[in-house]
Amino acid sequence: MSGRGPAIEAHGLTRRFGPVVALRPLDLRVEAGTTLAVLGPNGAGKSTLLRLLAGLARPSGGTLRLADTDEDRVRRRRRIGMIGHETFLYPALTARENLVLAGRLWGVADPAARAAQLLEEQDLGAAADRPVAAFSRGMGQRVAIARALVHDPEILLLDEPFTGLDPTAADRLAERLREAHTAQRTTVLVTHDLGRAAQLADAVLVLVRGSAHEAPPDGHADATRLADQYRQIVEAASRSRSEVTA
Amino acid sequence: MNVLLAILGKDLLIEWRRRDRLVAMSVFAVLVVLILYFAAPPNRAEGGHAHVPGLLWVAYVFATVLGLGRSFALELENEAMSGLALAPADRGWIFLGKALANVLIVMVVQLLTAFAFALAFDLDLWPIAPALAGVSVLGAIGLCSLGTLFSAMAVRTTNREVMLPLLMLPLMIPVLLGAVRATQGLFEDGAVPASALQLLLVTDGVFLIVSFLGFEYVLDD
Repeated sequence: MSGRGPAIEAHGLTRRFGPVVALRPLDLRVEAGTTLAVLGPNGAGKSTLLRLLAGLARPSGGTLRLADTDEDRVRRRRRIGMIGHETFLYPALTARENLVLAGRLWGVADPAARAAQLLEEQDLGAAADRPVAAFSRGMGQRVAIARALVHDPEILLLDEPFTGLDPTAADRLAERLREAHTAQRTTVLVTHDLGRAAQLADAVLVLVRGSAHEAPPDGHADATRLADQYRQIVEAASRSRSEVTA
Repeated sequence: MNVLLAILGKDLLIEWRRRDRLVAMSVFAVLVVLILYFAAPPNRAEGGHAHVPGLLWVAYVFATVLGLGRSFALELENEAMSGLALAPADRGWIFLGKALANVLIVMVVQLLTAFAFALAFDLDLWPIAPALAGVSVLGAIGLCSLGTLFSAMAVRTTNREVMLPLLMLPLMIPVLLGAVRATQGLFEDGAVPASALQLLLVTDGVFLIVSFLGFEYVLDD
């Protein structure tokens, strides 16, 4: 923990879609410069939580603060870089054009130079001027990673960022996330990959059916131990639900 | 302003590469002109062109609705709309970029439609071409301002092809009133009536302000 205070702080954060409660009142505190892994089965509310943190959805209840300020939504979005379920890329544009567009939207001083730098970092220099429509899932994901980093954000929100990446690219992303950690960036990582979560996270939050459950006390745990703890939490949550239903 | 220009450039570049929307709108508009030609044949008697301004705007509106329906469809691919919504700018500027791109595309279609109309209904539009172009642009701004907002709202609904015209057409009546009266004045007297011009300008202004402010909420889940 960095001791710089919370980068993200939520109290009673709730999200409903009509009668469906996607996220039950959640208290969350992510210290600045740390990595929080969010785990949970499909439909647990992980992506909903990430979209609330990103400002892509409005909470149905509760409060959310970034970096201990009540800044407006526009300024909050400037601090955030996000990788979603999808790549957010335009298939008809080239990788370079997509990144230059993102640079212009985020007010980067020299979008073309920044795009070139990120393309090299992602080992996409040779494919930079090909339309994204012609890219494999993994290549598209690498462009999406570059897009999320285009404005050098303080907070990274990552929804299954390792999806579609080959082992080399996945290791490179993991290395990049470790560098972000060293550089005191705050990261919220939604993943099903317990091994990566154990490697990268300082803290772990498990969501089951929209409810937060007691997480293992520390991150950077042994992957096997984390997997055991995760299984116990999910099974306990399922049992308690069955008892309530019965 | 940078955001506006970035979105405008992006939409026009994608349209230039694909051309699917422009081609579909243009072909559709010409087909509407053809149908109107048979449904309400040109009448060379005095006053026989009285209905032509209305017919011209019917073709414009139908082609515009078709094109606006596709405006946000391209934002659905790879969930690009969320990428736009994350941008640290007032979302009104995103709206203006999209709306301006739509206006420019609609203007191209209006030009082709007017040409087809002139051929089909044996009209000499050259003497009133500059004024007709001005009225058409004002009409296009009215149609595309609220139309862009509704297109963003409708695109994530299950029946988006039906939702857009249902939302948009009733509210387009003031724009149509102003545009048809202005065009009628041009056809009959060679001048745009001041009341029609005022109606168009006021409607455009109101629609632009409402859409600029409302767009902030449209991009949220």
